[in-house]
Amino acid sequence: MVILAYENVIKSYGSTLALRGVSFDVRAGEIFGLLGPNGAGKSTLIRILMDIIRPDSGEVRVFGEVRRRDHLDRMGYLPEERGLYTKLTVIDVMVYFGALKGLSRVEARRRAHVWLERVELPEVASWKIDRLSKGMSQKVQIAAILLSDPELCVLDEPTTGLDPVNVRLVQSLLLERRHNGRTTILSTHQMNQVETLCDRVALIDQGRLMVYGEVDEVRRRYSHPDVIVHSPAALPRVSSVATIASGGDGVWRVSPAENASYSQVLSDLVGAGAQITRYEPILAPMEEIFLRVVQERVA
Amino acid sequence: MTHWRRIWTVATFEFLQAVKRPGYLIATFGMPLFLAAYAGIIALPAYFAMRADRVPAIHGVVDAAGVLHLTRDERSAGQPLPEEVKKMMEASGQRGVFDDADFGAEFVFRPFASEAEARAALTSQAIKGYFVVLADYLSQGVVEVYTLDSIDLTRGESRSAFAMLLRQRLLDSRLDPKLSARVVDPLRETRRFSITKTGALTDGGNTAGILRIAVPVLFTVLFLMSVLMTSGFLMQGTAIEKENKVVEVLLASVNPDEILSGKLLGLGGAGLLQIVVWLALLAAGGLGIVPLILESQVEMPWLALALAIPLFLMAYLFFGSLMLGTGSLGSNMREAQQLAMVWSLTAAMPLMMMAALLREPHGVVSRIMTFLPFSAAPLIIFRASTDLSFLAWWEVSGAVLLLVASTWVALRLGARLFRIGLLSASRPKLREVIRQARL
Repeated sequence: MVILAYENVIKSYGSTLALRGVSFDVRAGEIFGLLGPNGAGKSTLIRILMDIIRPDSGEVRVFGEVRRRDHLDRMGYLPEERGLYTKLTVIDVMVYFGALKGLSRVEARRRAHVWLERVELPEVASWKIDRLSKGMSQKVQIAAILLSDPELCVLDEPTTGLDPVNVRLVQSLLLERRHNGRTTILSTHQMNQVETLCDRVALIDQGRLMVYGEVDEVRRRYSHPDVIVHSPAALPRVSSVATIASGGDGVWRVSPAENASYSQVLSDLVGAGAQITRYEPILAPMEEIFLRVVQERVA
Repeated sequence: MTHWRRIWTVATFEFLQAVKRPGYLIATFGMPLFLAAYAGIIALPAYFAMRADRVPAIHGVVDAAGVLHLTRDERSAGQPLPEEVKKMMEASGQRGVFDDADFGAEFVFRPFASEAEARAALTSQAIKGYFVVLADYLSQGVVEVYTLDSIDLTRGESRSAFAMLLRQRLLDSRLDPKLSARVVDPLRETRRFSITKTGALTDGGNTAGILRIAVPVLFTVLFLMSVLMTSGFLMQGTAIEKENKVVEVLLASVNPDEILSGKLLGLGGAGLLQIVVWLALLAAGGLGIVPLILESQVEMPWLALALAIPLFLMAYLFFGSLMLGTGSLGSNMREAQQLAMVWSLTAAMPLMMMAALLREPHGVVSRIMTFLPFSAAPLIIFRASTDLSFLAWWEVSGAVLLLVASTWVALRLGARLFRIGLLSASRPKLREVIRQARL
C-alpha cells in the first residue's frame, strides 16, 4: 500500500530550479532511503511533504489522499538542522512536541517518560536541555519525535554524531517501527545504513530522480557482471562463461560471456557437473552507486 | 487536531514558559515595590518642604506711606483649596483633609518703625525679608523689597501675599466692605457648566474635565505600556525558535498562522497579566479615591469605558501581529527589536499628539486619526470621553469595522512575514518580503 506519493513535483527558488518534476512513492511499513548529494533537493522534498513550503506544481498524496494540514498529526519530522529549547527541561519540551501532535498533556508526559527509558536517558527528564551532551540531545530529539508514534516519519541524518552503541540503538528503534507497520523515510549520507536498514531508495540529484527502487534491485542494477561461486572442485568450462579466476579456498570469480545472464551461467555450470555450494552476484555497494550517479552527472 | 486546539497548545506553552521566567516574576512583583520605593524617595523632600511651609515665613514691613496701618503681626493665608474640590471632598466625608491641610505657604507681615530696624532683623535672620512702602507710594507706586543674598523660591509668593494685603488695606477705608472684597478677589467661587452639541447641560467642572481626559490618556498610556512591555516577550518568542533551531520541527506540526496566533495569545496574555497585576496593586493603593469619584456625581464616559476593553484587544492584536511578523525577519533578538521599533513608535503617536488633540477633540486631525488603524482605538476612546454628542455613530462603527479589517489583514500579513522570517537563516531581502507578502 502506498502511503506517500510525489507526483511530478516542481519547485523553484527564484531562478533556481530545485525540483524538476520528481515522482516516486513510499510504501506503508517500509524504511525508505532518500539519498542525494548536498543541495540535490532532498530537503525541499521533505519540506513540501511537511507543508513548510508549497510546490510550484505537482501533487503530494499521503495516506491515500491529497496532503492536508491535518495529516501532519500523523507524521513526524526530525530535520537535519535541529535543536531544542535550551532553557527548558527535557520533559517540558517533549510534552510540548507531543501536545502539538494531538496528544493530551497527561498522555504526552506518560509517553515522554517511556521514551526516555527507551533511549536510555530516564534520568534527564528534569534536566535543562543545555545540560545535555550533543549525543544525549540527539537521542532526546529522536524520542520527542517518535513519542507520538507517527505513521509516517521523516528522519534526516538521525545518527550523525552518535557513537556506535547509540547508532545501533537508533537503528533498532527504526527496525521496530518497521516491524510495527510504521513507515520511515531516512535521509542519510551513510550508505552502510541504507544497505542495512532500507527496503527501497530514491536518489535525487539536481532536482531529478536518478535512481529509484528496492535496495537489492538497485544494487544489482549497478553491480559488476562477475559472480562469486563457491565450489570445492575446479569449475568446468562452459560457453556462457568468459573467464574463471580462483580466489582460493574453493571460491571462484566467474565472468559471464557477453549477453549471458546469471541464471544461464548457473544452469550451464551445474549442467557441466560443477558442485556449487553458494552462488552470489557481486552487488555494488550503495556508496559506489551514489558516487557513480553523481560523477556521471558531473561528467 | 483542530486549528484552535493547535493555537491553544502553542498559547499555553508560550504563556507558561513566559510566566515561569525569573525575569518575568521579578518585573511583575518587583516593579511595584521599586516604584513604591522610588515614590517614597521623591516624596521625602516634598514632605519636608511642606512641613517647612507650615512655619509661617515672617516678612518685615516699613510703611513710610502710612497706607497699611499695621500695629501688630498680620497673617496672610496661602492659596485656598478650590471650592469645587472642597465640596466634592465634603460629599465623600473627607472634610478633615482640607481642614487640616495647608495648601501653599503662609506669611506673617511684621511692622517695623524704620528700615534700620528691619535690616537688623533681616541680618539676624529673624525675618526672611522686608518691604518698604515708600512715602510717595500713592503717587509713584514704588515698593522696595529687601531679602538676604540667597536663593528663596517663595519670594514670588511673598510678593503676591503682600500685594493682596496692600490692595485690601488701600480699599478698606475707601469702599464698601463687600465691594472691597469683590475687588480683592473677584472670582472667589466659580460654577462651571458645559453645553453639548445637542444643547444638553453637563457638568463642566474641573473634575469632569479631568476625568474625561484621564480615561483616554490612561487608555493610551496603558495600551502603549502593554505594547512596549509585551513587545519584548513577542520578540523573544520570535527569535527563540530561530536561535534554538526548532523552527522546522514546529512548522511540521503547526502552520505559521497558528504559531503567530498562539504566540500572540500566550505571550500577549503574559504581558497583559503583568499589567493587570500592576493595576490591581495600584488600585489597592488608591482605593480611597473611589468614594470620591462616586460622590462627585460627575458624568462618567460610560461608552468610552465600555469600548475600552474590546478596542484595547483589537488594537493589541493589530500591533502585536505586525510586531511579531516584522520582528521575525531579524536573524536574532537585537535585529528583531530594531525592526519592530517602528510599530512601537506608531503606537505612541496618539499620545505624542495628545496636546494638539485636546485643543480640538473633534477637529479634522482627530477625525482623520479615528479612521487610521494605528490610532483608531485611542481616538474613539478619546472622542467618546470628551463629548459623545460630537461623535457620530457611523464614525464609531466605521472605525471599529476598519480596525477589525485591519487587524485581520495585520494577522495575515504578520503570519506571512513570520513564515518568511522563520525559514530564513539571515534577514530576507526586501524584494523577497514584498513578493511573499503579496501572495
